[in-house]
Amino acid sequence: MKLKIIYFHILVLTCVLSHDHISDRREDNTFSDIKLLTDKSVFQAGEPITLQFSSTNNSIAPQLYCTNSHGSTLLEPLKKGTLIDYKLPDYMTRKIGVLHWRLLNNNSLIRGSIEIVSKKQVAHMETYIGPPSIEAGGTDYTMLVVIPTDSLDNPLPDNTTVVTKHQFLTKISTDTVKTRHLIAYKNINSEIKSGRMLVSSESHNTNSKEFTINVLPSIPKGFTISAQRPHDYADGNQQTVFSTSVLKDSYGNVVSDGTFVSFFITTNNGNILKSYGKTIKGVAEARMIHPDHQSQWNVQAYVTGMAESNTITLTYKQVFKEFNVEFSDNNRTITVGPLQSFMKQMAPDGLEIKLYIYKNNELLEQRIKFSVDGFAHFKLKPNILENDTYDFKIKTAGIEQSFNSKTLW
Amino acid sequence: MKETTNKYLIVALLLGVVFHGSSIFFTLETTYDALIHLFFADHYANSWFEPWNYKWYTGFTVMGYPPLVHQSIALFSMIGGLKFGLFTVALIGILLFITGVYRFSLLITGHRTVAGYAALLAVFSSSFVETLHVFGQLPSIIGISVLMHALPEIYLWLKTGRYWYLATSLSLIAVTVTSHHVTPIFGMVFFIFPLIGMLIMDHSTEQVNTLKAVTFRSFINSFTKLFKRIITFGIASLIIIIGCILPYWINSKNNPITQVPIPHGSRDNFLEITSSGLVFFLIPWGILLLLLPYIFYRFYSRRYLFFGLSITILTVLGTGGSTPIPRFLLGETAFNILTLDRFTLWASIMSLPILGEFAFRFVQGDLKTLMQSKFGAVYHRISGGFLASLFVGMTIFTMSLGYFRPSQPQKIKMLPIVNFLNQDDHDKWRFLTLGFGDQMAWLSAQTNAMTVDGNYHSARRLPELTTRPIERLENSKFKGVAGIGSLQQFLTTPEKYNLKYIFSNDKFYDPILYFCGWQRLRQLENGIMVWERLNVPPIPSILPKDDVSKWQKILWGVIPLSTVLIAFLLNIQMLLVNALKTKIKASPEFLKFKSNYSVFSNSILKVSHIWSFILTVIFVLGIYNYYIKNDAQHSPENVILAYYDALDFKDFETAHQLINPENNKTIAQYMLEVSVTDGLLSSYAKLDALETKIINKNDSLATIKVTTKWITPLEKIERVDYKSLTKLNGKWYLDSEEIDTDLPPDQLYSNNTTSYFNQGRRRITTEQTHHEDVLKQPVLEVLSAKLVKFDKSYAIIGEVQNIDNVPADIVLKGTLYNDNNKALASYNAKYHIKHKLMPKETTAFKINFEGIAWSQTQDSIPKAFDPDEFTPIELEEQPTKFNLQAAGNVSGSDLYKQIIISDIEMQTQQIQGTLFNSGIQEVTIPQLLISYYNSDKTLSWVDHKFVKEGIRQQRKQSFEYHLIENISIKIINDSMENVFVNGLSNNSISNKIIPHRIDNHINSKLQPINHSEFSYIKIETNAYIGNPN
Repeated sequence: MKLKIIYFHILVLTCVLSHDHISDRREDNTFSDIKLLTDKSVFQAGEPITLQFSSTNNSIAPQLYCTNSHGSTLLEPLKKGTLIDYKLPDYMTRKIGVLHWRLLNNNSLIRGSIEIVSKKQVAHMETYIGPPSIEAGGTDYTMLVVIPTDSLDNPLPDNTTVVTKHQFLTKISTDTVKTRHLIAYKNINSEIKSGRMLVSSESHNTNSKEFTINVLPSIPKGFTISAQRPHDYADGNQQTVFSTSVLKDSYGNVVSDGTFVSFFITTNNGNILKSYGKTIKGVAEARMIHPDHQSQWNVQAYVTGMAESNTITLTYKQVFKEFNVEFSDNNRTITVGPLQSFMKQMAPDGLEIKLYIYKNNELLEQRIKFSVDGFAHFKLKPNILENDTYDFKIKTAGIEQSFNSKTLW
Repeated sequence: MKETTNKYLIVALLLGVVFHGSSIFFTLETTYDALIHLFFADHYANSWFEPWNYKWYTGFTVMGYPPLVHQSIALFSMIGGLKFGLFTVALIGILLFITGVYRFSLLITGHRTVAGYAALLAVFSSSFVETLHVFGQLPSIIGISVLMHALPEIYLWLKTGRYWYLATSLSLIAVTVTSHHVTPIFGMVFFIFPLIGMLIMDHSTEQVNTLKAVTFRSFINSFTKLFKRIITFGIASLIIIIGCILPYWINSKNNPITQVPIPHGSRDNFLEITSSGLVFFLIPWGILLLLLPYIFYRFYSRRYLFFGLSITILTVLGTGGSTPIPRFLLGETAFNILTLDRFTLWASIMSLPILGEFAFRFVQGDLKTLMQSKFGAVYHRISGGFLASLFVGMTIFTMSLGYFRPSQPQKIKMLPIVNFLNQDDHDKWRFLTLGFGDQMAWLSAQTNAMTVDGNYHSARRLPELTTRPIERLENSKFKGVAGIGSLQQFLTTPEKYNLKYIFSNDKFYDPILYFCGWQRLRQLENGIMVWERLNVPPIPSILPKDDVSKWQKILWGVIPLSTVLIAFLLNIQMLLVNALKTKIKASPEFLKFKSNYSVFSNSILKVSHIWSFILTVIFVLGIYNYYIKNDAQHSPENVILAYYDALDFKDFETAHQLINPENNKTIAQYMLEVSVTDGLLSSYAKLDALETKIINKNDSLATIKVTTKWITPLEKIERVDYKSLTKLNGKWYLDSEEIDTDLPPDQLYSNNTTSYFNQGRRRITTEQTHHEDVLKQPVLEVLSAKLVKFDKSYAIIGEVQNIDNVPADIVLKGTLYNDNNKALASYNAKYHIKHKLMPKETTAFKINFEGIAWSQTQDSIPKAFDPDEFTPIELEEQPTKFNLQAAGNVSGSDLYKQIIISDIEMQTQQIQGTLFNSGIQEVTIPQLLISYYNSDKTLSWVDHKFVKEGIRQQRKQSFEYHLIENISIKIINDSMENVFVNGLSNNSISNKIIPHRIDNHINSKLQPINHSEFSYIKIETNAYIGNPN
């Protein structure tokens, strides 16, 4: 470790000393036998660059070290009598910026720099834009970044004029910005309407390609809901469809398709049922199957945290007030039905019928059957319910009937 | 004396090559191991000297397995591809095995014809057939074959003391060890030690003229005389065994196998698990079982005494967990690492010379004479036919094992997957296969893409894998809950492993993929479903590796094939002379010790008969028991077992036959009813355990309480059903179940919906995706987030909303910190979130901090790991703060939101309700997310429930949910300070998009509950659709 530190110090010392040495030499510049003849120090990118030197000593032909942002290289001299030419490679002349050079001459230090500037004509418009979608309302914006470049892909100098253009609805707006630190940028704010914005830019008669920005609607505001149902009976089969009015943001834009709306149904016993809808052209629809028992619903829809609707109230009427139950086959078969709906038609298949079997007021078993053609049959097997006396309770459509002390044999 | 070519050996070689050579093309690729060796070979073919392989297990070293066989396949693959290499090496293995058995038998018996018989029988011996055609253990076969070739050379060295033989024997030992490391180590004990014993016996026989005259004293005398040679050989072979695969030993020392033992069938109790008994005991022994008395009688004769001891130990070790002896002999660690079937294999191979001898004596020797004189020629012929047919039958049975009980899924066409991985830079991410079996190794060999899984479990490094007793993630369902538990860690935090694509060949895993946030990409033309996960970064271009020094790499790359070369050069002369009979050679020393085949012991014939009789009785009893157990309608319990068994295997016709015919349910009606039931239980559950209890039963009726335990990809389900059965005509039948008769009012339904399509790259180019084609990440807002302590574990709960205008896929990643801002743990939201949100939709979420369970393998691991009962992470310090990163990505899939709550009834501690599917997709697994609120309507806990039954379109499904009880929940931190959305601060986003948010907007719509801790709940629904259309 120590050794390393010592080496490091020696290195630093050497550098410092040699630097002093070099500075001393600079003053000898005028006495050196090689002189720079090229007096031009600013070149345009792409223009061939040759540095010419004169030499008094024919035998001296040092290499030329040159470096720019692209990299560094050594150039071999081209001797023409007392003249020495150094032709810079193309890739170096094509890149703008400062190019430093230095003659690798043992006797004296000769160095300098030239500047390469971009061409005057814009060949390409390097453009970036983002985000690709913004919100209507005027506060959200997208940023357009333009880098006008010449045919050699060099950015044009600062203060190059860039015209940004964007079309929205019927209006086309143009703005002028100047490049700074080689780029020009423009924040384009949304307007209160949603829609599609096309953006482009221009500099020195060269135009960029087209960009598309979607201006999406802002968050929705209050709305109303309505319900549509085939009838108002609690048949447990038909469906009620809830619809919203057209959901709009505060600027009157219809919200994006797919906006999620939750419908909350508060039943008369305080329970919360839920349905969901997604908007299409601002209207969300949600479905709910009718209850199978009499009920009253208070329905309200929400776009969580943003908007809510009015509350509507729906009442569902009982389809039948009573139902018939028959015991047969040694009381081991219980037939429920006919279950007749509001027009005396047989209730649609699938109505849930629950049978509770009690013995000494203790629930032995609960069975569920679904009606078929208005009837349901329960079979009580002797291996489960032995010959004895039981109490039965049957519940369907929210109403129940009890049969006490039925004997099975 | 001019030596003639051994016709039996020639026939054996020809038969062996024709029989095995043609059948390997149909069997080898479906064996357990062959494709793994192929993968290793592919590694060597691509980077011979670099032992680090990135493709499996986030990187592992191939120095964990001796390389010779793999390198040979790799070498041959240069000529005709990997599979050419595999088959070529297999053919070489077959030749080596047959000749090896011949030389070993010749050494043991000293009788050319007997050795010929042994070679001939070896071709069809069931243990060899099984090892090659069912297990595909090429290195094992080559190892043991070369060892058998080495044995005569070892004998000759010890006998004659000629250094040439020392050289040949050591060269062959070197080949053995470079092809299989376990073989020479145990071979030393079980083959070479007895051989030395036999040699000393021979030596002292020479000294005292007859074998009978050998006493213990003369034996010791000979031993001391030969001691120098023995010890020379011992030390030299030890150096060879260590030196030739030195990097292997260094690697084993540096990376000791500290993983949880993986169950292996060979360690089972064969009497309990009969399938393991069949595969690991009955088949390898095969016909040898009948001859056990003869084999032991012969091996316990004085000359072979040490072989007798050896084969006894091998036989006992081969019984696995049936007796406690193997565990006792090997010790707990070795017992759990070694696969014990190899001992049975060696025992059966050791028996081959005796089998040859028996066949010789039976066909043309003294046994024939004895039997013919005792029982007559007809009996001899009949028993000959019986033995031969048994032998052939066993071979055919073993060969067809892979056909009748396939160990692998159907052969998968890999090309579409390989093409998929090559497309669009898909190989810049890791992939995972599910349900591929050992074919995953073949896929890995064909693609450059990497997987988190692998197929050589000793090389696993990730603690998520080494701490679970599973060999591969790929087949985790067969490893029960432990397997699924390990898999879900990878599925939940895939970004940790850069895992983006999953190729699923098994529908079973679909639900866990969905609920962990994965989405279906598309089905490839070979039927494999591709799943992808959004928001996973690609693999970094520089990956870590455990480098080893250059000399090890060179040693590893050079030595194995050199051992073959040297062994070839040393043995070629002998081979040529022996094969071409170019010159008359003195017969080797061991031929001097011939057995006497003139008088077959009468008593051993008797014992063999008694033994055969006992075996037959056991066999018949076994068959009878099997029949009674499986006679479906013998008893009510049997009916239940058979019915559930049939349902588990989706054998609906069998199931229907068990239904009471008086129910008048036609097969068509039954199938229809089955086809309309979908859901977690009926489509994705594997029956784990079944218990029946007769509630009541009389002559003709019975009620049975059936408790079934199911393993599903999501959770373990226990279900209690009451089934009633009826006896008709002496057979029990199951009464059919009621079905839901619900009838939706309409015939045709229509549904309008918004669908989304993400183009990806709009321009067809192989360049990086253009910046214009990158969609903006949807903006999310975390509405609330808090760190809570629940009993002893921690969770982040809260609510998140998609506040953008496009649907979003959501990834939530939580990190816990202590007071000193030290990160303690990090995990993602798994089941407790809706992973896909429509614009403006909200979801409750919970991030459970699951530890990479049992990071110390020594820790006691619960026997039955339960995926629901997640393992809380063990934190050294108290977490006090948290960081939550929400990331949204546009996703157009799985946006079905039409499961609605159509009825709710509150009961004490329980909610009964009804879900209604108001849309036009059949929902396979509905999920409920239940948020608990306290009396201030502050979110306090989030729970979930999977409804076991699916919901058909426009139909209802009832559910029951038990409110959580007796839990203590403490909110530790509810600061939203460190919540970020797409890398930006949550607050700034919220203020910009929704400056006037109505806080706690739906608080008035919370469901009140009667509960000691909580006052309200909120129920959200989520749905997995198995077959979207």
